[in-house]
Amino acid sequence: MQGPSLRRDRFIQGAAAGAAAAAFGVPAFIPRRGEAADVIMIGVTEPYSGVYAAYGESETRGAQAAVDAWNKKGGVLGRQVKMAKEDEQSDPGIGVQKARKLVNQDKCVALMGTVSSAVSLSISGAANALGVPFIDSGGHTDDVTGKDCKWNTFRVCHSTWMETHATGATLAKKFGKKWYLITPDYAFGHSLSAGYRDVAQKLGATIVHEDLTPLGTTDFSPYLTKVLPAKPDVLLILPQGDDFINCVKQANQFGILKRIPAGGPQVELEAVWALPPEARVGFWGVEWYYKGASVLGNNAAGAKWVADYRKKYGTPPTARSFFGYTAMDRLLWGISEAKSTDPVKIARALEGTHFTSPLVAGTLFFRKEDHQMMWPMWTAEIRAKGTPEDKYDVFNIIDREPALAIEQTVAEKAKVCKMNYPS
Amino acid sequence: MLEHAAPELFNGLILGAFYAVVAIGLSLIMNLTGTVNMAHGSFLTLGGYLAFTLVAHGTSFWFALIIAPLLTVAVGILVERTMMVPLYRRDPVYSLLLTFGLSLIAEEAYRLIWGSRGVPFSPPADLAGGVTLGFMQFPTFRLFIVGVLAVALGLLALFLSRTRFGLRLRAAVQDTEMIAALGTNTQILYMVNFALGIFLAGLAGVLAAVMFQLSPTTGNQLLMPAFVTVIVGGMGSLYGAIAGGVLIGLAISLTTLYIPAASEVAMYVLMAIVLLVRPRGLFGEEGIFG
Repeated sequence: MQGPSLRRDRFIQGAAAGAAAAAFGVPAFIPRRGEAADVIMIGVTEPYSGVYAAYGESETRGAQAAVDAWNKKGGVLGRQVKMAKEDEQSDPGIGVQKARKLVNQDKCVALMGTVSSAVSLSISGAANALGVPFIDSGGHTDDVTGKDCKWNTFRVCHSTWMETHATGATLAKKFGKKWYLITPDYAFGHSLSAGYRDVAQKLGATIVHEDLTPLGTTDFSPYLTKVLPAKPDVLLILPQGDDFINCVKQANQFGILKRIPAGGPQVELEAVWALPPEARVGFWGVEWYYKGASVLGNNAAGAKWVADYRKKYGTPPTARSFFGYTAMDRLLWGISEAKSTDPVKIARALEGTHFTSPLVAGTLFFRKEDHQMMWPMWTAEIRAKGTPEDKYDVFNIIDREPALAIEQTVAEKAKVCKMNYPS
Repeated sequence: MLEHAAPELFNGLILGAFYAVVAIGLSLIMNLTGTVNMAHGSFLTLGGYLAFTLVAHGTSFWFALIIAPLLTVAVGILVERTMMVPLYRRDPVYSLLLTFGLSLIAEEAYRLIWGSRGVPFSPPADLAGGVTLGFMQFPTFRLFIVGVLAVALGLLALFLSRTRFGLRLRAAVQDTEMIAALGTNTQILYMVNFALGIFLAGLAGVLAAVMFQLSPTTGNQLLMPAFVTVIVGGMGSLYGAIAGGVLIGLAISLTTLYIPAASEVAMYVLMAIVLLVRPRGLFGEEGIFG
């Protein structure tokens, strides 16, 4: 071939280089100068690309709202607060790199964020080694506050145990005891599966089949074609993010949603809004909702927060916005309560302290023994088209499950979680 | 277990058709200009988003199915003329880096324009239902996809083998300098060739947006299998890309059915085997590359 030539080996080298570049991601291209003396830096690691990008964005918006509120009150320890954001790309390895960069280079005094459980675990470990507090805003796997618990790690969102135990009994009562599971094949899915197996055993339900699907699966048809012949009472769909959308959308295309009920431990507004109305069905666990007295209670501050958020971004806040807000707000509260950025003092201030939030009725706290935030969960049915006044209002909240009823007890957790504070 | 295999074979075929169409676009561009187009998936996503936007503004799905790929081609030609042309005579690594950068920029741009949350895109009412096949319902839209892709590939084959322009394109792949010396404007060949590849990507994008989900990453998720398809099928061959796509589609869906844990590596295993046994790919024409 004349002119431009491309040999196979060059192409393969090139493709490999491209793939490697894709794996390592883009460096943050605005260099930062490190910590200015008058600013408190908080590192936010979220997936801004990939299957969980929409969730990362919502958590960041929530965190930003908390930073703005604190800065308006005069900051923390008399200093303004700034967020340094990094894209962890739902990749545990990249998450660790970004956590190190945020602490070593940007001089962040604490970290928060994550959506994928695998990244929550890796950053929890990295933050422990770096000696900074980390609040896992949105990674659910039990191990974060279970066998991999750390003195410096706290978690806002519910554990997978809470999610499965909040929904399992109702699913069995409503639809029946033969369950079919489609489970994402990583830490989050594995611990959800363990949770449902525990519920199933207690209720005498059976799991007729379970398929583990890789994160980032686009075509769910090979899994879905097996569902109807197995004749389950209910199809439990456990993947989240883009995978949830792909799975539910295709389950609808295959006519499965019309024949058997669907549900699961967790449904997110970002995902439901991305589904066409005909695929919006099912009974699901809900972690937070922007409407309703059973979630928000009746307080003007909460309603105003929701209205301000909606005005700023055009869509209502989601559970992810709440996670981001609460993680950031509690971190800043911890620093101000500890009157210091000393990590141990911050952790001691946070653990066990009961607090109220304008966004959730009742009191909440990070349990001292495992650092899991104890707060209720809700269940909801999907209202495909929203309400006439509000097309985003797609959850019809049915029930509220108190935290103590759905999470493992302190005694059960003590068997797996051993927390060693630095002496 | 066997009763699931029939729908799975068909699903594999559909996946394969997607990979083939994307791979042919990649292959066309690679063959003529030596460019590894890492931005191909971004054009696919763009096709989906443009169709979504058209439909949201009240046009019919059928209109969007044709117009969105054409609009994607317009963007593609702009990119090709302004950025790719200067790199055609250089080492392929330059265009690889350029297009890789473009794909990152495109993903962020889509996020800014259409949001990082996916957008809902349904098939038109005529194609929304299913065809009952014994114990299960098979989505009409999937059948439609196979039809559209088959027609597109058929037309492309006719174009390349039966028209004067198509013959010139193929001749240029063999020897660009000679065909230029014989008086053919190679710049127009480059442009039309690129446009053809992008049209196929845009078309696949509209269909993928309905069948899968539409978010800024939709296209990039289909890009890696398409690269593997090119390698398996053999560079420089239209039929190779079709065969490679179908093989990979089947490999993925059948491993998913029987050994789900292996579904991610199935296509790479297939690629490794093909490279060991027949390094130029199943239908690759020896001598074209180097």
